[in-house]
Amino acid sequence: MLNLQDVSHVYPNGTRALDHVTLSVPRGMYGLLGPNGAGKSTLMRAIATLQTPTEGTIRFGDLDVIREPEKLRRTLGYLPQDFGVYPRVSAYQMLDHMAVLKGVASPADRRTTVETLLHQVNLWSVRRKMLSGFSGGMRQRFGIAQALIGNPQLIIVDEPTAGLDPEERNRFLNLLAEIGENVVVILSTHIVEDVSDLCHRMAVLADGRVQLEGAPQELIHSTRGRIWMKVIDRGELSHYREQYEILSTRLFAGRTVLHVLSDRDPGNGFTSADAGLQDVYFSTLAQSRRAA
Amino acid sequence: MLLPIARFEFRYLLRNPIVWVTAAFTFGMFFISMNVAGFELGSEGGLFRNAAYATLKNYLSISVMFMFVTTSFVANVIIRDDETGFGPIIRSTPITKFEYLFGRYLGALAIAALLALLVAPAMWLGSLMPWADPASLGPNRLVDHLYGYFLIALPNILVHSAIFFALATITRSMMAAYLGVISFVAGFFTLQDALSRPQLATAVAVAEPFASRALRDAARYWTVPERNAMLPDLTGALLYNRLLWIGIAALFLALAYAVYRFADQGMSKRERKKQKLAERAGGAAGFSPPSASVGGLKPAAPPEALLPNPQHDNAALRTLVWMRTRFEARQVIKSLAFPVLMGWGLYTTIFVLLTQRYPDYLPTYPTTLSLIPEIEDAFRVMLMVVAIYYAGELVWRERDRRVHELIDASPLPNWAYVVPKTAALAIVFVSMLLVNVLAAITLQLSLGFTDVELGKYVLWYVLPATFDSLLLVAVAIFVQSLSPHKAVGWGFMALFLVWQELNGMARYVNHNLLNYGGKPKVPLSDLNAAGSFWMGAWTFRLYWGAFALLLLVIAHLLWRRGTETRLKPRVVRAWRRLAGAPGWVAGAALLTFIATGAYAYYNTNILNHYETGDESEVAMAEYERRYGRYSGVPQPSIEELTLDVAVFPKERRAVTKGRFLLRNLTAQPISDVHVRLADDGGLELTSASIDRARLIVDDRKFDYRIYRLEPPMQPGDERLLTFETRRWHRGFRNNQPQTTLVENGTFISEMQLMPMLGMDKSGLLHDPELRRKYGLPGPMEPPRLEDISPTTKQSFENTWMKKSDITVSTDAGQTPIAPGSKVSDVTRDGRRTARFVSIAPLRPRFSIQSARYAEKHRRHRGIDLAVYYHPRHAWNVDRMLDAMAASLDYYQANFGPYQFDHFRIVEFPAYRNGAQAFAGTIPFSESVGFIADYNEPGTIDYVTGITAHEFAHQWWPNQMLAAETEGYTVFVETLAQYSAHMVMKRLRGEDQTRRFLQFELHRYLQGRARSNEEPPLARVLGQDYLAYRKGSMVMSLLQKRLGEDAVNRALRNLLARYKFKDAPYPRTLDLIAALRAEAKTAEDQALITDLWERITLYDLKAGQPTATRRPDGKWDVTLPVEAKKFYADGKGAETETPLAERIEIGLFTAEPGRGAFDKSNVLLMERQPIHSGRQVLKFVTDRKPAFAGVDPYNYYIDRDSGDNVAPVG
Repeated sequence: MLNLQDVSHVYPNGTRALDHVTLSVPRGMYGLLGPNGAGKSTLMRAIATLQTPTEGTIRFGDLDVIREPEKLRRTLGYLPQDFGVYPRVSAYQMLDHMAVLKGVASPADRRTTVETLLHQVNLWSVRRKMLSGFSGGMRQRFGIAQALIGNPQLIIVDEPTAGLDPEERNRFLNLLAEIGENVVVILSTHIVEDVSDLCHRMAVLADGRVQLEGAPQELIHSTRGRIWMKVIDRGELSHYREQYEILSTRLFAGRTVLHVLSDRDPGNGFTSADAGLQDVYFSTLAQSRRAA
Repeated sequence: MLLPIARFEFRYLLRNPIVWVTAAFTFGMFFISMNVAGFELGSEGGLFRNAAYATLKNYLSISVMFMFVTTSFVANVIIRDDETGFGPIIRSTPITKFEYLFGRYLGALAIAALLALLVAPAMWLGSLMPWADPASLGPNRLVDHLYGYFLIALPNILVHSAIFFALATITRSMMAAYLGVISFVAGFFTLQDALSRPQLATAVAVAEPFASRALRDAARYWTVPERNAMLPDLTGALLYNRLLWIGIAALFLALAYAVYRFADQGMSKRERKKQKLAERAGGAAGFSPPSASVGGLKPAAPPEALLPNPQHDNAALRTLVWMRTRFEARQVIKSLAFPVLMGWGLYTTIFVLLTQRYPDYLPTYPTTLSLIPEIEDAFRVMLMVVAIYYAGELVWRERDRRVHELIDASPLPNWAYVVPKTAALAIVFVSMLLVNVLAAITLQLSLGFTDVELGKYVLWYVLPATFDSLLLVAVAIFVQSLSPHKAVGWGFMALFLVWQELNGMARYVNHNLLNYGGKPKVPLSDLNAAGSFWMGAWTFRLYWGAFALLLLVIAHLLWRRGTETRLKPRVVRAWRRLAGAPGWVAGAALLTFIATGAYAYYNTNILNHYETGDESEVAMAEYERRYGRYSGVPQPSIEELTLDVAVFPKERRAVTKGRFLLRNLTAQPISDVHVRLADDGGLELTSASIDRARLIVDDRKFDYRIYRLEPPMQPGDERLLTFETRRWHRGFRNNQPQTTLVENGTFISEMQLMPMLGMDKSGLLHDPELRRKYGLPGPMEPPRLEDISPTTKQSFENTWMKKSDITVSTDAGQTPIAPGSKVSDVTRDGRRTARFVSIAPLRPRFSIQSARYAEKHRRHRGIDLAVYYHPRHAWNVDRMLDAMAASLDYYQANFGPYQFDHFRIVEFPAYRNGAQAFAGTIPFSESVGFIADYNEPGTIDYVTGITAHEFAHQWWPNQMLAAETEGYTVFVETLAQYSAHMVMKRLRGEDQTRRFLQFELHRYLQGRARSNEEPPLARVLGQDYLAYRKGSMVMSLLQKRLGEDAVNRALRNLLARYKFKDAPYPRTLDLIAALRAEAKTAEDQALITDLWERITLYDLKAGQPTATRRPDGKWDVTLPVEAKKFYADGKGAETETPLAERIEIGLFTAEPGRGAFDKSNVLLMERQPIHSGRQVLKFVTDRKPAFAGVDPYNYYIDRDSGDNVAPVG
């Protein structure tokens, strides 16, 4: 549905944020995973017509997004990573205003749109309150509501779960999953679980390049048997760092749990671990670091 | 810790570019003020560029100009920490609140103080430059700078920095500080003039924050040499002002200290509420799973199925534009600054309207016409601020609020940014201006004035002001779309405004076609509404509007959509975006721009004459070089005048056929007649011929012709000159429109209708510097009083026409008026024709008028007194007729018979002010007496005063001409002013005199202080402050001392000798001789010398009077008097001289000149010998006096007229 071909973007200061990104995104939920600074937001903005990439093409169906951004915007729902609000405007007014901007013109249509969405994101009870007084979670819910106006065919959500508490996050993802069955939804995040819970397909972006692309289950499958773990004391960590390629460390009950990547059993007390998407992600990043 | 913190702040600010820009600006400005022509700054009216007073004013102006700069320094010393989030870190260190607040403040203050100090080296170095004109510089004196810096600049900077530091720190908002500055400045400038009423003088001088008023008052009556070298004493208002404001500054600092919370920022009530709300909503929250039923809404399978699909048709676009416009407008109106700005605007409007009703205590009816310029002035700055401020806000709003990604990714078309934003501002302007109008209407109604003209408000004010504001908005939006940051855009716009204002003053760019937003003036009038003048202004508005539209299209093309903010990619993209509608709009705008520009050019430069100030100076110099030498060549005089003037008001055209019967009244033969046009270019001489004469010079450029008479006219000979002229105001001019011939209210003077005879120097370049610049010989020396030759010189205007026969025709609906008795008045075929024949000699100075008038006549002693007026201006017509009757009676009884059988007051449009006196006719401006409002008690009856003054001109000079030499204007204005004063005295009693004389005295002293050199009254040369003001004082005192009858007798005798006589003409020497003939004592003779031949100043002061009751019930009154007398030379240097005169002492039960003071309040009034120094006078009265004074009615010229009367203790 959405095809990116060789998309690169270089910022005026010389930073190469995107480096020949080629992606094919089908209908459904698509996860874009990457660390901070990987170029996720640049990619999202490029797709959302906010940033013209220095080179490459972006097509949505038959539509050349870079040539005719106006057309894409008519079917686009976009939730930026970070956005503000107008002062002295209530949630209802602002959503109503966004509906007008998106072409929902007749008052009746607008009322249906705004009321449905406010109910859906559970902001109905605070619809008359000023947006500027909203908490981060409420604001985020407002953001998703405005992205859904006018039944967009392409929905881009950039780091949507940042700042949400676990319950809110859960509900938000449910809502996305529901919508994502019929349209293209691109979800960018640095939280692995967001992707593993929801997405049929995913890509890992690091240093502006696509490091990995595929269905999460297949990717997990491909690393099966190569992930090893060991519980060690904190003081030993530096010693292990020299010897092994460590994917991740985390603390558990005061001790450190190590995951390392290895085709063979590294011995030395390591046991085989069940690979998760997290390990896939970290191993991909590790490879990209090695390459750099 | 205090000093290290201050030092840190100081160093921090040194890295701020504003500091360096300000330093360069300050230094440069005062540097060139010492040595660049036309850039004198504080120096004015012949002062040295580095005069003491100019130096003080420079320090004053720099401290006022610094307000924004200083505020930008001090206001954010604390706020900065909150904005960066660094605050808590700093506040958790061991520094105290005191050190933190005042250390920072001191550091910033030190920078501002140091910047102001740059004035001294700048002026000093500037004065040393080799190209500086040494004649314009005095000695550089350190003490002037010390005074200016430490008493003016530094305290001022301390005051405003303290106030705005406190404001910003307490409110934690830069915005509040800036709004504070704007209100402060706007208030300062708006109220400056409004508060110019002398009763408030001292209070204002103390209360005004910069001490500018106190400084000005202290030097109010100082002459040029005094202001060059003297510094005001630090006493009185100046001292109290400084103490008061330093106190206020300290108070604000203390307030900032008390209110500022150091330890805990806390949360404001509003923030707490917000937070609570957020918590509540968050608690309830979460996303409802779409399948769940919420609030009665039925569950739905895929949510998108429920939502309506968007439309992208025209109806949707219309909704979009309208909603977007409304949204933007609401954002402006609901913003915090808007109500503040509006409130301030309304407040100043109402304040100005209320106070401006009393220009010079002369209240007028609040007619719409008179209010519009006032509200326009009061609101002008506000509109600019709103235009510039909100254009920046609107352009950057999405970005500032970080909603741009949401908005930019939505499908709204690109033009849906610029168009609604501009439209929103238009709505804002219209509503602001309507509210402003509402305030004016409220004022009108509250004063019981019900003739509200809403249409005029809309057409003459709301629409033009909205349009002009939008022109500014277009520039601002354009600039903001190019500018990398909102503040940079604002800064640029501020520069743009300064440039425009400077240009407005100096006219670097003179033509409206080149000066953004430039347009001709639209003079307004009740008689003639906006006439056809609006067409010129609106043509230029259309022209600049088209240009503004182009700017907006460019802004639209360069609009930052998305996250690309660099200019270059946007410029590249702009070309692509030009295709389609933007291209068409730009093309249409460009076509309109070119078409209206061409049309405007055709009007200003082809139909009308256009020249820059330089060009007109060059032309004047050339004129003088060619023809100046002919001035003084004897010319024949007009003995009989026949004119036929056909006025076509709708076409703004007049055709005149005329005939002069010339006679040689000189003693020698005349061989050449010089025929020239002397108006400002609106008149064409279509034909002219003289009997037995040949045209030898025919200069079409300067409209100068010389006819050689063959044979020459011998003394007493006659010749006939016939001519035809045309006056036709086609189209519009570049700036000041032609206002003589208009649709209703035509007022043309003889110079604008017919040619003049002989060269006259009065219209040439007089300024010595300009004469040098254009290589003209030396300064023009006026003739000296002692020179006998002017007494025999006949000039064109200074002769008698024995007969005049003037026919004026005009549209049937209008009344034609010309000098002379009306002998016929016929209306036929849509034209009304009236013929006027004079029954007495008259000067060749007259006017033709035509308008739709109402008339009121009164027959008084066989004379037809008449007022021709606009039907809606009937208020004071009876008062004018009363004044005419009273004047006629007084003048006929005291000076001699009136020469005509009619006397007319004829109203003319407010394009010009004042009233003029021609034979039997007084053209009277609609803005002067017709709308005077006498409902206010205690109003000076100036309608009667002006009427009496102009009526007196029927004697002086219309019965007696005077030699055109020093003292000439005494015979015109002094005598008329004296006569009017006597009529007023007769009507209102002497006891009202004090107010009148104080007014005259003030104007005299003020005029004197502003002049370079003051001659004694006998040698006055056109200085109004002498001829009117001092003349009036002098004659009043003389009639007091010699007696009214004696003075009138002297005038009567003089008139009898010269009545309707040609040369030789009298000089002031003859008038003084006539007065001396009436003076009986040596004391009176000495007084005449002092008043007429010297510049004499008195200093009379009443000490503390006492009154004690005697056993017999009467009162013993003592009055200490201090007295001094000075002679001044022309430059103002004074020498004390012994005083020994008998001067009036008065005892009163109320203060003279205030409220309803009249004769019944006078207990005693008698002349007592007064000598220099201190003396105590004793009296016995029946009742207890409340006030006592020496020269209580202010007949003597005294710079401190207020201390002549003192309340009894």
